[in-house]
Amino acid sequence: MAYRAEPPDGGWGWMVVLSAFFQSALVFGVLRSFGVFFVEFVAAFEEPAARVSWIASIGIAVQQFGSPVGSALSTKFGPRPAVMTGGILTALGMLLASFATSLTHLYLSIGLLSGSGWALTFTPTLACLSRYFSRRRSLAMGLALTGVGLSSFAFAPLFQWLLNHYAWRGALLLVSALSLHLVACGALLRPLSLAEDPVVGGPGAQITSLLRHGPFLRYTVALTLINTGYFIPYVHLVAHLRDLGWDPLPAAFLLSVAAISDLVGRVASGWLGDAVPGPVARLLMLWTTLTGVILALYPVAEAPTGLVALTMAYGFTSGALTPVAFSVLPELVGTGKIYCGLGLVQMVESIGGLLGAPLSGKGNKISRWAMAAVFYHGGCRGELI
Amino acid sequence: MSKQVWPYLIHHGGKAAPFKSLPVQEEMMTKYSNLSLESHNISVTAAPFTSLPVQEEMMTKSSNLSLESHSISMTAAPFTSLPVQEEMMTKSSNLSLESHSISMTEHSNMPVEKNITLERPSNVELICQFTPSGDLNSVNVTWKKGDKLLEGNYLVNATGGILYTQHRVAVINSKQMGSYSCFFGEKKQQRGTFNLKVPEINGQNKPLITYLGDSVVLMCKCQDCLPLNWTWYGGNGSVQVPIGVPVNDKYVISGKHANETRLKITQLSEDDQGTYLCHAIFELGESEGHVKLVVLSYLVPLKVFCAIAAEVVLLVAAILLFEMYTQKKKKPSDDGKEFEQGEQLKLDDSNGIENSGPRHRKNESVGQ
Repeated sequence: MAYRAEPPDGGWGWMVVLSAFFQSALVFGVLRSFGVFFVEFVAAFEEPAARVSWIASIGIAVQQFGSPVGSALSTKFGPRPAVMTGGILTALGMLLASFATSLTHLYLSIGLLSGSGWALTFTPTLACLSRYFSRRRSLAMGLALTGVGLSSFAFAPLFQWLLNHYAWRGALLLVSALSLHLVACGALLRPLSLAEDPVVGGPGAQITSLLRHGPFLRYTVALTLINTGYFIPYVHLVAHLRDLGWDPLPAAFLLSVAAISDLVGRVASGWLGDAVPGPVARLLMLWTTLTGVILALYPVAEAPTGLVALTMAYGFTSGALTPVAFSVLPELVGTGKIYCGLGLVQMVESIGGLLGAPLSGKGNKISRWAMAAVFYHGGCRGELI
Repeated sequence: MSKQVWPYLIHHGGKAAPFKSLPVQEEMMTKYSNLSLESHNISVTAAPFTSLPVQEEMMTKSSNLSLESHSISMTAAPFTSLPVQEEMMTKSSNLSLESHSISMTEHSNMPVEKNITLERPSNVELICQFTPSGDLNSVNVTWKKGDKLLEGNYLVNATGGILYTQHRVAVINSKQMGSYSCFFGEKKQQRGTFNLKVPEINGQNKPLITYLGDSVVLMCKCQDCLPLNWTWYGGNGSVQVPIGVPVNDKYVISGKHANETRLKITQLSEDDQGTYLCHAIFELGESEGHVKLVVLSYLVPLKVFCAIAAEVVLLVAAILLFEMYTQKKKKPSDDGKEFEQGEQLKLDDSNGIENSGPRHRKNESVGQ
């Protein structure tokens, strides 16, 4: 097997982008649109909405905590087997969920089983993608991550249509079939052997070396802080708008505006990350600072035009920082250790994600936005170091 | 025999004449009316109803159609004068008084309507305001219930250029429900309508999808009302069969609050498909909601699942076969492959100066 000196930056890499696009769509798009199912579960199992929403929380937690496992497996066996297994696990989880008779059944099948499936697919795919690109890495990341935004648009109405025609049991069965496409995406991930691979060794060695790596640790902390603040605006934006007297429909529309600008931000930032020479970390700093500033302005903005402008800007900057955040890592740790590195980062930053939303719930309106801004600034300070 | 009902106010014409001249007015009324006469006895003195039988006699003599006589309850306080009577009416009848009004101008093109939802028996006051362009006094005012002309039970008042007319209805059962209309003018009639209805029941707009052997809960809800009783009817086609009359395990009717009813059906089969009606009974009438139930076999989504799963298997096979095919093309010699890769790298390199960027980056990361 010949080892390439450098990532190909094209060729089969674009097929990997396609695979990553569908993967992020099928993992996060499904997760984000699952709220449509929750309404049905509340009625079917006669449980309060808070308990039903645990399904998604468990799923996300398992996906993020299980990332190191996914990356370890993909380091050892290559991304393809890991992702294909993950796809089968996800589909199996959904399939079993369609037979559910209680909420606990759903916690285990969707939360645990599908969650582990997602853990085995998302991280290895992104890591594989960053191995295939170096010059155009940010652009490739940006394009791949647009899958999340587009699928959130498409899947919510699709799931509602499925629910109307097949009820939740049949709809879960069909979402399981949809998730099977993750296996096909996995098949596209041709293993790539880079020159650094024999040097860095197996997963165990990689993880220990990463944990001793100063910049990596600082980067992880920074991303955790960013992640803590990341979900707060999404959770509270609608409530904030309603407090100001907005109707539900315009408020929902504003969320769509944020989603669109998020999409644009991702691609633009991806392109920018490659076009601008020098370390990508500087761009990450730029976007996080901007996001923090925008969030701090939220309590001040009262007029509708101001809010719309702020939301568009927020969507753009928060979308912009995602591909860059992922691109910084390979530069930090090298493409050889990327699988394990990404896995560890995901795991640690998930703590931030878990804590962020409940923490922000405690404060009042203004303090929430301030908290989010603080987290972002913390993140960017981390980058400075 | 006289019934114990609530007395009405009778006014004829536009004058709020006191009731001292009542007997005369009644006489006048009976002369003009040729439809049903609702006679309302209002005793004008503080005396008890000793004079009642005399008045009743007068009534029966003059009328020539159905007579509904309403006598004042003996337990009620004596009715001394007109304004007091209004009060007395509400006190003795123990019913709430609702007042609804609509206003119109001479040139309003759209018919003015107001929907009034009534759940319990109550006194309803219907007021129409009319702003005429010309002379107030020349406007003719009439009231109709449905298509039936109502004679003489209404007040007409004119202040500040606006004509008011008031009609009071004591709604006690479903017969008093319906549409009441006030008409202004002869040639170009302006019409205002009050629709008295029972509250509406919300069933479910979308059909409920269930599977064979599963169980389902059908729910009907009333927003702000409390029906006296709920009944469920199931029907295939036009025949409505009441459900739950022979109590069995299959159908369980329950309801957590009085304003909703739930029908739980277990062990669903194909025969259970169709539209179910929930009937709410009020004192003033009935109302119903619809719930449509569809029962599917599990095979329906399963077939789609298998189709998609087959498609995925084909995709995976295609991708892996394509890869094996391209690898075979490259395999002829290992050296050849390396050489080819080297060539490819050179081609990439020759793409431009930008390469110093990524190389620079890589060196940085290695240096760290």
